[in-house]
Amino acid sequence: MLALQTIADGLVLGGLYALSAVGFSLIFGVMGVVNLSHGALVMVGAYLAWFFWHALGLDPLVTIPVVMLCLGAFGYVYQRGLIQLAVDRSSHVASMLVTFGVALMLRNTLVLVFSPDLRSITPSYSGHPLLLGGIVIDPVRLAALGASLVLLGALALILNRSRMGRVIRATAQQELAARLCGVNAHHVYGLTFAVAAAFAGAAGAILGIVLPFSPPDEGLWTMNAFVVVTLGGVGSPQGALLGGLLLGVMATGTSQLIGPAFPNAMMFAVLVAMLLIRPSGLLGNAFAGSR
Amino acid sequence: MLVAAVRRRAWWILLGVVLFAAAAFLPFVTTPFYVRVGQLVLLSSALGLAWTLLGGFAGYWSFGNSAFIGLGAFAAGIFEVELMKGQPWLGFALGLLLGAAISGLAASVVAWPILRLRGIYFAVAMLGISQVLAELNNNIDIFKGSMGLVLPRLSAFGLRPEALYFYLLLIATILITILAFAIQHSRIGAGLMAIREDEDTARMLGVPTERYKVTMFIASAALTGALGVIYAHSLGYITTSSVYRTEFSLNMIVYNLLGGIGTLIGPFLGSAIMVILTQVVLGRLLSIHMFVTGALLVLLVLVAPKGITGLVRALRQRWSAR
Amino acid sequence: MSEPILRLDHVTKRFRGLVATNDVSFEVPEGSICSLIGPNGAGKSTIFNLVTGYLPVSEGSIHFQGRRIEGTPTTDLARAGIARCFQIAKPFPELSVHDNVRIGALFGRDGARDIGAVTRDAMALAGLTERAQTPASELTVGYLRRLELARAIAARPILLLADEPCAGLNATETEDVIDILRDVRARGVTVLLVEHDMQAVMRVSDRIFVIDAGRKIAEGPPEAVANDPHVIAAYLGTDEE
Repeated sequence: MLALQTIADGLVLGGLYALSAVGFSLIFGVMGVVNLSHGALVMVGAYLAWFFWHALGLDPLVTIPVVMLCLGAFGYVYQRGLIQLAVDRSSHVASMLVTFGVALMLRNTLVLVFSPDLRSITPSYSGHPLLLGGIVIDPVRLAALGASLVLLGALALILNRSRMGRVIRATAQQELAARLCGVNAHHVYGLTFAVAAAFAGAAGAILGIVLPFSPPDEGLWTMNAFVVVTLGGVGSPQGALLGGLLLGVMATGTSQLIGPAFPNAMMFAVLVAMLLIRPSGLLGNAFAGSR
Repeated sequence: MLVAAVRRRAWWILLGVVLFAAAAFLPFVTTPFYVRVGQLVLLSSALGLAWTLLGGFAGYWSFGNSAFIGLGAFAAGIFEVELMKGQPWLGFALGLLLGAAISGLAASVVAWPILRLRGIYFAVAMLGISQVLAELNNNIDIFKGSMGLVLPRLSAFGLRPEALYFYLLLIATILITILAFAIQHSRIGAGLMAIREDEDTARMLGVPTERYKVTMFIASAALTGALGVIYAHSLGYITTSSVYRTEFSLNMIVYNLLGGIGTLIGPFLGSAIMVILTQVVLGRLLSIHMFVTGALLVLLVLVAPKGITGLVRALRQRWSAR
Repeated sequence: MSEPILRLDHVTKRFRGLVATNDVSFEVPEGSICSLIGPNGAGKSTIFNLVTGYLPVSEGSIHFQGRRIEGTPTTDLARAGIARCFQIAKPFPELSVHDNVRIGALFGRDGARDIGAVTRDAMALAGLTERAQTPASELTVGYLRRLELARAIAARPILLLADEPCAGLNATETEDVIDILRDVRARGVTVLLVEHDMQAVMRVSDRIFVIDAGRKIAEGPPEAVANDPHVIAAYLGTDEE
């Protein structure tokens, strides 16, 4: 029973990990840029949702579209204005430093605007646990998992069915060929970043109802995204889902079996081990190309 | 080879000697605050030099060198506290060796697999390793990472503590500078440069790439570990969060980038500018410290991706082209 | 007859199902210039990759100076005296011509004493002395090819493998490269060439091996090979494609 409960908790957390990582994965897959400000974008989403809830009493799940819109716009400008410049002028490793600089700026801004204190969002439907065959399920967590899965599904549809999705995937595979076909690669990169930032924001909003948060958490969410991607593979919502769920179950399992202080150590160890043993991810489509 | 290099750079070396000699007078002419600033400049420069042995010379950017600061600090700290009571200087000397040895050993364990990774993958794997070690240090009680460790106090010649550590760091910095110079101007230095430029071609030309990378990785780690020991003593009391700081890892890169990556004056220029800027100029604006650091980082990559030395070189070329 | 510098015995290389090199044998005598020719995709570069240890052989053996070398790491082969220049030059772009060549001299075959002299000598041989301080990234294709040769020569090789040193060069530049290769041979270095420029191959080679579809289809001195019906067929075949 305990094992089942652990797995159930892990899945809820895993859905969140997956959603929070999918944008990171997309950016890396399409542009080869490691976005160290990804976690900061997640935190911005969480604080936006918190603001709407705190000031206007709106439920985070309701304000997700607004949060996504804000972050999407920010993401587009961020990519065209900064990241592309850095990639053009120096290298991908240097662009990683730019994203780190932005992460520091965002974190500092969040502290100044919202204070460094822990915040949490408590929706109206919290505090009424459901009992399902001996497993306790919090409706908030159930809603969080549901929302995460719906959003991941939506992204998969966008990437596979829409024109924009096809252009993004084409540019990811062959930038030059896509350019020759009349694709404006920089615009596509901007769009990719917008989509990625929007989903990071959505993850932040959902994170807000599940866990308490504060600005310095951004580093952890960036690392989470990294682990998810090394586990599941780059560039696809399916990979992010697999990696996220695995990481979620591993995290809850570690704190259950070894101790509540160890999920982070386990997570980083998995990251290093995966990089060394199978840098292409479990599904085998990740980091291989650029090694 | 080394002799020729020394002769060719005689003026630079003379300038270095003069600057180091001048630095030795600092504790006599300024306030303790500026001596501490000087300490930080020296520590950052030395850490930056240790980082550049692999990062600057061979192009393998470690994002996790703070792990070696932490390993060195805690290895020496636990050893000195547990076994060297009442003999602070002997303990410190042995601790210095132990800190370097443990860091070097840890590096040699992971060296072979991790140096197969290139570019971003190496950088991130190192970041991951430093996080694992920090978490373990913090959460396993025998390492005393969360409750902290009080190190034996050192004193000598009636010097104030900040002056003492200033001199220890000065000596360490001079030694590391000499070592880095010797490496840069020897066969291995040329090999490392070839690795940085194009590793596959280097291998084809007969450069023992694996051996060189591993050697430099271990040397870099051991030196960083030794610096960690001195730093730990200068703090007096250490915890996981005071020595395993990701910030350190990042600063090593930023200072090198700012000064000019792959050069020896780069870390000095970068450290001096950044430390003075953040500690002295922005010292009172703690609330936007992080924002300013981030903004500088962004500006740096966009405006001077090759650092100050690169900027100077470009300007000089433009000048002579006229 | 003395032991050849390089000897391939029944060398086969398979990539999964594809056979890139099929039972190829040949010998490169000491002090000669030999050439591998054949249509595009015939497997010439694969042979180079096998000899320099870039790829493991599937079957057969390779002897260098009488020692078996399959499976020896590239670095060790370089130190034993096998140097290679690439068709697409791979200079260290940020370094000057001098520093590029110097790295060749510093490593390469064991035993050089005066690095400065070796470097200057190799640059002089390749006609690069005046460009010693030019960054490699600013060289033209012709000079890049010279740099590639100079760096290989500075390694003091016993065997030089040159992969299409004349590709993309004009008539005078080709002439220069041929002169350099002859100078190299005059110093006792054995040269194995892959080249498409048939005129250059015919003039410079002592012996030619013709490869088609992974197999050796002919071998001999230039005149004999040029008149070999198999060779003519192989070349005409590719012309029609």
